Amino acid sequence: MNGQGLIKGLGITFKHFFQKEITEQYPDVMPQLAPRFRGCLQFEFEKCIACGICVNSCPNNVLSFETEKDENSKKKKLLSYTIDFQHCMFCNLCAEGCPKQCIYFDHNFELSSFKREDIKMVYLRPAEMDMREEESTNGQEQQESKEQKQIDAMQKALQKNPGKVLSKILEQEEDIIILSELMQSDEKTAGKIAELMVKDKEKAAKVAAGFVNKAKKNRAKTETAGEGGDAND
Amino acid sequence: MEALFVNLAAVLSGWLTSLGLSPIWADTVLLFVKWIIVITIITLNIIILIWLERKVSAFFQERLGPNRLGPFGIFQTIADAIKLLTKEDIVPSAADKLIFKTAPMFFIVVAVMLYTVIPMGQGMEVINLNIGLLFFISIGSLSTIALLMAGWGSNNKWSLMGAVRSVAQMVSYEIPLAFSLLGVVMISGSLNLQDIVAAQGKLWFIILQPIAFITYFIAATAELNRGPFDMPEAEQELTGGAYTEYTGMRWALFFLAEYTNLVAVSALMATVFLGGWQGPWLPSWLWIIIKTYGVILVFFWVKWTFPRIRMDHLMSFSWKVLVPVSLGNILLTGAGIYFCRWMGWC
Repeated sequence: MNGQGLIKGLGITFKHFFQKEITEQYPDVMPQLAPRFRGCLQFEFEKCIACGICVNSCPNNVLSFETEKDENSKKKKLLSYTIDFQHCMFCNLCAEGCPKQCIYFDHNFELSSFKREDIKMVYLRPAEMDMREEESTNGQEQQESKEQKQIDAMQKALQKNPGKVLSKILEQEEDIIILSELMQSDEKTAGKIAELMVKDKEKAAKVAAGFVNKAKKNRAKTETAGEGGDAND
Repeated sequence: MEALFVNLAAVLSGWLTSLGLSPIWADTVLLFVKWIIVITIITLNIIILIWLERKVSAFFQERLGPNRLGPFGIFQTIADAIKLLTKEDIVPSAADKLIFKTAPMFFIVVAVMLYTVIPMGQGMEVINLNIGLLFFISIGSLSTIALLMAGWGSNNKWSLMGAVRSVAQMVSYEIPLAFSLLGVVMISGSLNLQDIVAAQGKLWFIILQPIAFITYFIAATAELNRGPFDMPEAEQELTGGAYTEYTGMRWALFFLAEYTNLVAVSALMATVFLGGWQGPWLPSWLWIIIKTYGVILVFFWVKWTFPRIRMDHLMSFSWKVLVPVSLGNILLTGAGIYFCRWMGWC
């Protein structure tokens, strides 16, 4: 029948009249954002390994960074990271490519600012990060490696010229000869004494004296056994 | 409460005659007071109606509508009115200036004239005219001239196109509009609107004349230039039709007149088909307001449901559907009346 559609249409609008409004009252009530909503790009400086995947994947050249080669570890060191957000088209390629998840979109979408320059976000290397690195790498690993080097050098010196080195911890020449003979036969004692000499000289002297006494006793035992043997003969 | 305004008028006219004025002068002063009241009613109605239309259309579209200014955004219209009043009044240099300037005034005057015959309660009308319905129809069709003046005076192709459309549309729909009211006139036997209201004491004419009600509703929508028949404005096609060149308060006058017409036509519809000011418990002047607003809400509902129809469809619908249907309704009503008399029911 003609006009049925009209009544149907009136029914639809009548139904919608009583339905809940879908208007978002944004400044008063913040909108419910989907979990993967792409708002503002965020960057975590400390996670970044400066691999450059994000910079290469960005179609609009939004991202850029500066690096420096670390002299000690020969690693790339991130100095600054820049997000020129005005050109971003929210394609998410940077965040997808990042192996460390240090660049990602958060839910902040209120990005307006008074000046064009304010849109640009520059992340500088945080000073505390350098300090922490000094503590961690320079403070522990580097010190350890330094010590290791010293120990290695000491070991070499002991192998080359044991008498000269051991004279620092042992007084009697007879003892020095005994210990150098012992170290040549057993590398472990050499390593231990070298380590102790670098770290604590007094302790090294005591340990060395202990080794010498032990060696002397052993020698005495073998001598007496030899004498006994002689007697038996 | 029932006779509140009638008694007030009697007190006023008694006071005026006691001052020594002759009855004619007292009536003139009373008429002036009535005119002021009508203007107040119109202004108040427009403030409410514009807000209501925006709100209702928002609800139909699951939006919120104006909600910033005052509770539920009720002061939005007032802010808009202040904005329109302070806007620059631009008259195009190529316009026919006299016609351009008089068109909105003419439109609003014609719209206000419609209120002279509408019974706004028991014994509450500006003039109790015995040809009230005829007066209403004839004055209502005068607004065509105002739109034509606006379209011609603007000297703009869109304006003229809108004006031509409005003339074609309004003249075409005038016929089914008048014909659909004829059935009511035949039953009540009077053109006086108070008599028509009184004739509906037992049964509203919407039940006796359902076809007439529907044809009148459609024709009235077209007469009011409201959606889905808002061809003369047609923002998307004609950039505002006859109102294209109007700015500020002149444009606002057109807007005002359209809503004034809407209220008048709705009030007439309530009077003719829905029993007028008659109703239980509440005073009569409240009943007519309730019924009028009910009709207005239906107008809003229709406007915000249907898309605008094409101009040639509009014309052919009027001449090929509405005119024959309303003529058939007259025939049916006449036959029904004779049948009733033959059966001895009336």
